[in-house]
Amino acid sequence: MAMVASTACSDPEETAAVAAAPAQQSQDPVVILPNAADSFKFAVLGDFGTGGKTQYELAGQMAKLHDRFNYGIVILVGDNLYGSERPQDFTRKFELPYKALLDKGVKFYASLGNHDAREQRFYKLFNMDGKLYYTFSPKANVRFFALESTYPDPDQFKWIENELKSSGSDWKIVFFHHPLYSSGDRHGSDLRLREGLEPLFIKYNVSVVFTGHDHFYERVKPQKDITYFVTGSGGRLRKGNIDRSTGITAKGFDTDLVFLAAEIKGDQLHFNAISRTGAVVDSGVVNRRKASQ
Amino acid sequence: MHEQRSDMSKTRYRAVCCAAVFLTWTAGCDRRKEPSAPPATSASPTDAKPTERVVGPLSPEEAATLSTMNDRVNAYVELHRKLEADLPKLPNDATPKQIDDNQRMLEKKVREARASARQGDLVTPEARVVIRRLLATIFGGPDGKQLKASIMDETPAGVKLAVNGRYPDDVPLSTIPPQVLQTLPKLSEEMEYRFIGDALILLDVHAHVIADFIPDAMPD
Repeated sequence: MAMVASTACSDPEETAAVAAAPAQQSQDPVVILPNAADSFKFAVLGDFGTGGKTQYELAGQMAKLHDRFNYGIVILVGDNLYGSERPQDFTRKFELPYKALLDKGVKFYASLGNHDAREQRFYKLFNMDGKLYYTFSPKANVRFFALESTYPDPDQFKWIENELKSSGSDWKIVFFHHPLYSSGDRHGSDLRLREGLEPLFIKYNVSVVFTGHDHFYERVKPQKDITYFVTGSGGRLRKGNIDRSTGITAKGFDTDLVFLAAEIKGDQLHFNAISRTGAVVDSGVVNRRKASQ
Repeated sequence: MHEQRSDMSKTRYRAVCCAAVFLTWTAGCDRRKEPSAPPATSASPTDAKPTERVVGPLSPEEAATLSTMNDRVNAYVELHRKLEADLPKLPNDATPKQIDDNQRMLEKKVREARASARQGDLVTPEARVVIRRLLATIFGGPDGKQLKASIMDETPAGVKLAVNGRYPDDVPLSTIPPQVLQTLPKLSEEMEYRFIGDALILLDVHAHVIADFIPDAMPD
């Protein structure tokens, strides 16, 4: 179960049960999500649109968490629909599995992966406003930037530089499909994309980057003071695919599906990575990068 | 793709360059019916920043060839826009049915309008040679192996391609690294370069139609 502090929970017994749950697959003590009333809460999901049983099971865990941890948005790091994209596929691979969240008004913000047709940008429930790359600020001082990493043309580089430069938000969080850092044996780090994007992230104080593509969960050791997550096991899993010899893994989990729950309060971002069985497989705190860094 | 694999030794680089030159030469032998490629110009774009690199370098003959291709692609885009303008405009909060109907109607119109389209209508045989040379330059460079690996990552081989045919729904879109995009002629928003196998596709993104393609575009 996700580790959520009791302050905002309505049922003390439920909270006690949650707090007593073991952090499976982890030897580290679990960092509890503060669940503060005035914080900004969100979830991250990637590589999920299979329509398969395990996708639905992880979606069930997301809904279960929402009962105790009232996150308002989910950011999607691509591969939102695998295979066919007929209307019935949108239903089976997205609208049904996340119905409980959609019914509660949770908004999903998508980026596109290599399995996604470009028309998804017009889909109402992906909130892309017809754009392949876009930015939005769901709360004061928090700004997200969604990129399209399968076709990173020069215009997009210019766009992201201008947006990062002009943003006065304390928290700048970027999400897209292809990881700049990953220990995936199947895909791994996209070095060419890194060459173009990383200098911008450093220069303009991006604190956190969420990606997918490799079908596992990985938190990468901070790279040039930026924290990178691979959250590519929302529906597909590539078991045992993390190459531990890369030396960049802070925490990896490649034996079951995972989504990430996060909470920003002040200069800290707390996170819990939660598996299909409800176990917290990673947790921690990321401190915001500041201009002086 | 691994961290340890990111650097290529100088020896390996020289070997790859030699191999690329050899393979480019032998590939040219296999394509005797096509116009021979002009020699590469001496200036190289490989030291430019990935966000600043531009197409080329090109000889005047190559520039003229790509200009012809550009004119043909522009004519295609003009047709595309005309056909698309007749369709209901897709709102930014569309339903899946609206998206699907719109996309398939456009596909139908484009395919009907270009019923007699053939390979080479947009990317002329002469332009094909120039594009192949540009790609060979990129993939023959120090990062060529990694670039190729990132493109071919989930790209299936053996897919039968047809000009004016639908892009296969079950084939994921290949990643096109910035270095490649910045070296090929720029396309308008309606069109994208993608690879399927070693063929470079000129994809009509809205219509899901393969507007043209270059077989064997990816150097061995």
